[in-house]
Amino acid sequence: MPPSPSHAWLWWIPLLPLIGSVLCGALHLATLSARKRDPQAKGPAGLAPLIACAAMAGALALAVKGLFDLRALDAAARILNSTSWEWITVGDPRQPWFEVDLRLVLDPLSSTLGLVITGVGLLIHIYASGYMKGDAGYAKFFAYLNLFVFAMLMLVLSSSLLGVFVGWEGVGLCSYLLIGFWYEKGWPAEAAQKAFITNRVGDACFLIGSFLLLRLFGTLDMHEIVARMGADFRLDAVSDDVKLNIALAALFLFGGCCGKSAQMPLFTWLPDAMAGPTPVSALIHAATMVTSGIYLVVRLNPLFASSPAVMTLISGVGVATALIGGSTALVQRDIKKVLAYSTVSQLGYMFLGLGTGAFGAAVFHLVTHAFFKALLFLGAGSVIHGMHEEQDMHKMGGLRKHMPQTFATFLAGAAALSGLPLMSGFFSKDEIIAHTFNSGGVYYAFWIVGGLTAAMTAYYTWRMVALTFFGPERFDHHHVHPHESPAVMTVPLMVLAVLSVFGGVLGLPPVFHVAHVLNDWLAPVVAPGVAILNQLHPHEHLSHATEWVLLGLGAAVALAFAHTGFRTYSAGPEPDLAIGRGAPGVAAFLGDAWSIDSAYSRVVILPLRVFAFVVRFIVDQVVIDGLVNGAGSLAKNFALRARGMASGQLDAYALWMGGGAAVISLWWMWS
Amino acid sequence: MSELLFYAMCVIALLGGLGVIFSKSPMGSVLSLLGSFFALAVIYLLAGFHFMAAVQILVYAGAIMVLFLFVIMLLNLGALGTRFELSAAPLNSTRSRIAASVAAVVGLAGLIAVQSASLPRIAQGGAPERVDDINQIAIALFGRYSLPFQAVSVLLLTTMVAVLVLAKRRTRESGQ
Amino acid sequence: MNVPSEHLFFLSAGLFSLGVLGFLVRRNVIVTLMCVELMLNAANLAFLAASRMHSTPESLDVQGPVFSIFVITVAAAEAAVGLALVIALYRLKQSVETDSASEMKG
Repeated sequence: MPPSPSHAWLWWIPLLPLIGSVLCGALHLATLSARKRDPQAKGPAGLAPLIACAAMAGALALAVKGLFDLRALDAAARILNSTSWEWITVGDPRQPWFEVDLRLVLDPLSSTLGLVITGVGLLIHIYASGYMKGDAGYAKFFAYLNLFVFAMLMLVLSSSLLGVFVGWEGVGLCSYLLIGFWYEKGWPAEAAQKAFITNRVGDACFLIGSFLLLRLFGTLDMHEIVARMGADFRLDAVSDDVKLNIALAALFLFGGCCGKSAQMPLFTWLPDAMAGPTPVSALIHAATMVTSGIYLVVRLNPLFASSPAVMTLISGVGVATALIGGSTALVQRDIKKVLAYSTVSQLGYMFLGLGTGAFGAAVFHLVTHAFFKALLFLGAGSVIHGMHEEQDMHKMGGLRKHMPQTFATFLAGAAALSGLPLMSGFFSKDEIIAHTFNSGGVYYAFWIVGGLTAAMTAYYTWRMVALTFFGPERFDHHHVHPHESPAVMTVPLMVLAVLSVFGGVLGLPPVFHVAHVLNDWLAPVVAPGVAILNQLHPHEHLSHATEWVLLGLGAAVALAFAHTGFRTYSAGPEPDLAIGRGAPGVAAFLGDAWSIDSAYSRVVILPLRVFAFVVRFIVDQVVIDGLVNGAGSLAKNFALRARGMASGQLDAYALWMGGGAAVISLWWMWS
Repeated sequence: MSELLFYAMCVIALLGGLGVIFSKSPMGSVLSLLGSFFALAVIYLLAGFHFMAAVQILVYAGAIMVLFLFVIMLLNLGALGTRFELSAAPLNSTRSRIAASVAAVVGLAGLIAVQSASLPRIAQGGAPERVDDINQIAIALFGRYSLPFQAVSVLLLTTMVAVLVLAKRRTRESGQ
Repeated sequence: MNVPSEHLFFLSAGLFSLGVLGFLVRRNVIVTLMCVELMLNAANLAFLAASRMHSTPESLDVQGPVFSIFVITVAAAEAAVGLALVIALYRLKQSVETDSASEMKG
């Protein structure tokens, strides 16, 4: 490791939200007894968002400082280490067999993600102070939110895979707490449990992957591992056995990513997670937590790059997930579910990009997606808030007159999501698609599916816009009075709208003859992986002509399907009902995310339930309790019978004594 | 000649023992036991234990058995016309069977013990004519074994007190 | 008398087993006590036979008779106390059967 001075201030980045969380939690507990007496009492709970937002603002300021500090450094040595603490040391302290340090590292990748987390996070915190007003758990909400930001920052800033895992588990915990925030309603608690357990499967894979890495490299320090596979690493100089182990480790780590980032086998928790409050959906399930998987792959890029099979698998899983998510979003009625499946689909795109070796493009899409998806979620929250908790789009319509600011910002987000030209989403998605096309072979099929999904994305996005904001007003005017949300909620929307529209400047394609800011910024981080990929099969860049064709194709598809989607639904939800009548099987299949969740219920949950039943009633009640209680009753019965021996009759005693004497004599005789 | 007498006394002793067990009345048992004791005294005499024979007659037959007789007569157990307690367990009951087997085992153990032990042969001329010398017994009793002697005398004292306490008629017996 | 010591021991064993049999079979407490006396006598005989076995004209083994004296004394004490108990029992239960008093059961 290059000897760099240690910067203790880096620790404040995650610690500020942690302190905020503790303070908000204390506030919540302090007002608990007051609220038991009078549920409506608010008291000083109103301080909570101030504390939380202050913590987030502080963290953001420090992240920005970190950005400038990094920029001041030389490109090759852009790394800032924090002070480190010895956490685990196994073996001789001077020459440990295994050690893990608690250390934060700021490099281009972690600073990018840190800025996204703290920046978008701050906006969402401000929004939430308006959205959650009046809720009994106001302070608790901010405590959980800040705790989540702390865990997420630990995830992206930690130097060691074990520190990442601590953050990984922490965000999983906070996700559970926040999804089930309104647990009194019943189904949010189940959704939270589902999310946690599904993530657990991924976590197991993560652990196995890190065990394999530990065996391979003897350390869990990610920068150490990447450095070893860095500039001087020749893939053909490595034995096949080691390559297999590296591939296995990569595969298992990807399994962990599937859990956290809701990819193909483990995505069923994300739509259910919409049971949580909308700011939670925006922060955790759109902008940050679900992007942990992408962060992990980019961080350990040489590991993944060295195994073409794993890369192809990643792309395949990503594009399949994108297709499933996109097709399911076509028929959803709940506005949040549309966005949830859309998130699943876009995350699939990011993994598609990762699998082609376009690490920078995937991060670019991550950033733009954070902007526009958070915007869309917050906008949906604003709609739901204004419609008094109505989430069914079939019961909305014509809201653009009632909520103009929400409408305008929502349009910006929808444009970015559907990839309309010159929006941020257009550039990031197109870059991934270009890389896919460039990779050749099976990636052509992926490219086609990716294009199909892009079409679907445009279609369902503008369907959503049409059903919600246009068309006849389908709600009951006597009971529902939609109104615009307060400024504290609309200002963050506006900021995010600006970012969604203009965020594309971070990654303009090479045909524009402008530097790709993000790729250049991330170059030192992804260099090892790119080098390995070049060793494996170097391919030339796309010609400018091909690039323009692809750009044009993407724009055309997006515009065409957006227009179609909008026009089909601008008059109301009749086409949905027509599909329901005409092809009910297809509608049901799509609506239930290709019946994957029900398949899980049958194949996984049911046998587990049967097994649990067997264990509980047969093994536990009959066998174990039988043994234990049986031993007890055996002793009792024996004692009852033995009690008869003390009859009080002299004859009986005498006989026993005689018997004893006879036994002793016999024993003596026979010995 | 003395051997013949000895074996005859053996038989009488054993018959007396059997009489104790199988006699229907307690008085019969006492008398059988007395007969057994007399036979044993003769055996002691034949074996050369003159002093012990005398002690046997004086103490055992003369004191202890008389005590038994007193108690039986006091409790009026042998009177004619009164119903006897069922004297022994019936022969075919479990109890009898167990008792018989226990007794058999114990006896067998004793016999085997005797057989297997290597007993020193008595001198060629037979046992000495007189085996207990009162002088020597006295010396041993008051010398080497003086402590057990004192203990036994305390025991006798205690027994006297205990018997007095136990057998005393309670004056405060109410509603008997 | 030229009788081998084994025979004395046989007699002792026989008397002892008869005493055990009687002790276990008889239901009359007094007769039971008498069987105890029989057993003690058998023991006495054994002691004396052993003493006879070990004695030579020069040195008489005097331990046998001494121990026998102790046994007789203790037997007398025990018989006295036992009979006193029988009298007390008779006063209470009007019976001298061994199973007449069984309040200590359970």
